[in-house]
Amino acid sequence: MHMRHFRPRPLQEIGCAALSRSKGSGSDQLRVHMSGSVVSRTRAPVAFGRRAVPRLFEELRDPDPERRIRTLNSLCDLVHDPERLYQTVTGGFMDQIQVLLKDENQAVRRKTCELLHLLTSHSLGRQSLLVSSLVSPLSQLLDDPSGSCRTSIHRVLNRLALLPAGAQALLPLVPKLMQKLKEDQEDQEEELVLLLSTLSSCCRSDAVPALSLDGVALLRHKLEHQRTEVRRNAAGTMKELSVPLEGKRQICEEAVIPVLAALLLDEDLEVQTNSAGTIMNTVILTEGKRQVLDLDVVPVLLDLVSKQDQDQNQDQEVWIRRRSLILFCLRTLTSVAEAPEGRVLLLDQVPLLVHQTQEDQDQEVRRAAKTALRVVTWTP
Amino acid sequence: MAFVSHSQRDPNGMYTFSSRPRAVENRSKYREPPQEQSHINYGNIMYDRRVVRGNTYAQRIIPTTTQPDPAEIQRQQELRRRAIARKQAREQFKPKTPEALQGRKHIDVQTELYLEELSTVIVATDTECQTDAFLDRPATPLFIPAKTGKDVATQIEEGELFDFDREVQPVLEVLVGKTMEQALLEVMEEEELACLRAQQRAFEELRSAEMAEVQRLQEQERRHREEKERRIAQQKEALKREKEITEKIAARAYTQQYFADLLPSVFTSLRSHGYFYDPVEKDIETNFFPWLMDEVHNSLEKRYTARELLDTIIDDVTQKRLESFKDPEPQPQETDK
Repeated sequence: MHMRHFRPRPLQEIGCAALSRSKGSGSDQLRVHMSGSVVSRTRAPVAFGRRAVPRLFEELRDPDPERRIRTLNSLCDLVHDPERLYQTVTGGFMDQIQVLLKDENQAVRRKTCELLHLLTSHSLGRQSLLVSSLVSPLSQLLDDPSGSCRTSIHRVLNRLALLPAGAQALLPLVPKLMQKLKEDQEDQEEELVLLLSTLSSCCRSDAVPALSLDGVALLRHKLEHQRTEVRRNAAGTMKELSVPLEGKRQICEEAVIPVLAALLLDEDLEVQTNSAGTIMNTVILTEGKRQVLDLDVVPVLLDLVSKQDQDQNQDQEVWIRRRSLILFCLRTLTSVAEAPEGRVLLLDQVPLLVHQTQEDQDQEVRRAAKTALRVVTWTP
Repeated sequence: MAFVSHSQRDPNGMYTFSSRPRAVENRSKYREPPQEQSHINYGNIMYDRRVVRGNTYAQRIIPTTTQPDPAEIQRQQELRRRAIARKQAREQFKPKTPEALQGRKHIDVQTELYLEELSTVIVATDTECQTDAFLDRPATPLFIPAKTGKDVATQIEEGELFDFDREVQPVLEVLVGKTMEQALLEVMEEEELACLRAQQRAFEELRSAEMAEVQRLQEQERRHREEKERRIAQQKEALKREKEITEKIAARAYTQQYFADLLPSVFTSLRSHGYFYDPVEKDIETNFFPWLMDEVHNSLEKRYTARELLDTIIDDVTQKRLESFKDPEPQPQETDK
């Protein structure tokens, strides 16, 4: 960069920062720190280099809530950088965060939850969160009177549950989450979405606690919600619940299959996929097979399987999602073909399956189609 | 402010006005608010003395040179006397130096070098001026309003002059660069997370599909096994039943054979036991023969009794004979008992 002779003086610090482009420390300073003064009213000034994070945490002990909010804002900005995150986590500041979670000011609590949310984006943060037993204060905060705080908490739990160890750690919370599901109110749709997503991750690791608390009945009610995300997550949780045998039996008993069959015709791909997955798990049981055949779901499934020919030129991600839908449908058909009536229905569709076996691009789909074919044409 | 203006009536009766020259009062730039002025200056025209009343066409013209009335003269004399009295009064009120204290005397002392005559009358000279005739009215000068505000001066020092656009470029580059870096970092982070999540989801779905397959196979296994067990049980059942049947058949054959000659033997034994009887015979047997026997018995009884009787008689006889033999002599015993 060609520097002129006459350079205006107050902006010299920027020039220095530009010259010394250090790897991580300078990058996120600029927005926050220009010549040491406060740029934005919502951010506290940040010290330079290694002192940034410890200094901010010291400032967090300030009794004035406004200042704490500003400090938390700056912290949230800084924590995007992995090195700062590491510093936060290993500097022993987690117990201070724990204290902050019990703060009276609602904005402080919300910001702390956002900070935790940013921490969970990194594996180290997640592990430290699990180790430092922050789960119980977090679960207390679930009953917080402020809505935005609860939403942030749900986000944190959601991210945490994506980790298998996190899902394990959150299993004791499942009764409380189910309780929240029961007492759901109208204006908490965002929370509902996040709650259901957390539940599905928890049930993926172990579905038994949720099943024992009438999970199936509750979720069946949610399957008919207007909002797409709610339906999607409810169907996902139902899919996880249908994995153990007890869940399958409950699903057959509670007459959930008609609802799921209706959801197969939903517009959203995710909802279709999840409900197809649930049906796939349920038809393994003979009772499920019977119900599915009674409700005449097989043509729908066949239709879904064969529809993928038209969408060849879609982009990768959508195609991947379609692929899972096709996989689920094929597996469902395989299970249905084990029943005599199903086999009769599907024997007509053998050419379609053959076509699928050879023509499809994806190896998994081909394999599934082959299995289906084998089952359909099996003779004792 | 000393009003040194005189307005009086001339001896002719004309109204004259004269006043000492004085500086213009420091009036405000703008007029007073209009109401005050109108209050002061505005007078009802009907009561204004200067306005002529009545008809003007037959008014008496005031003669320029008339003898003043004696009343008029008296009035003027009065005025003059009053003016002098006023002047004297005013002179009285002029401050004078106080009387000297006891033992002191006021002396006039000359302090200045030059003597100066003190008089209230200021030496004045009359000057006249007269504009040139037939001069055109000069053009009005340009109206430049008075200056207001503070005067400020500025001076551009050495080195203060610069071209903003050129100077700001490096700063701007740095700012934009850092912001973009930060934004890129965040976007990469999000993308990474989204990638991870997508991968996780794809894996999850594959896993669910595979798990479904596994469970289906398990279920199939279970069903087959149960079917097999059921069939085996059925088969066992069948076998058992068959065995039972064969046993039954064998038993039947044996018993049949065993009881083949049962019937004749039964008949024989029955016949031998007298179950097949001729009714007449039976009747004879049951009814006639007992009676016959009874009769026979009776008759035999009779015979026995008769025989017994006979026996006793015989016994008696023999006894008697024996006794009779014994009595005479002891004879060898007869044992014909």
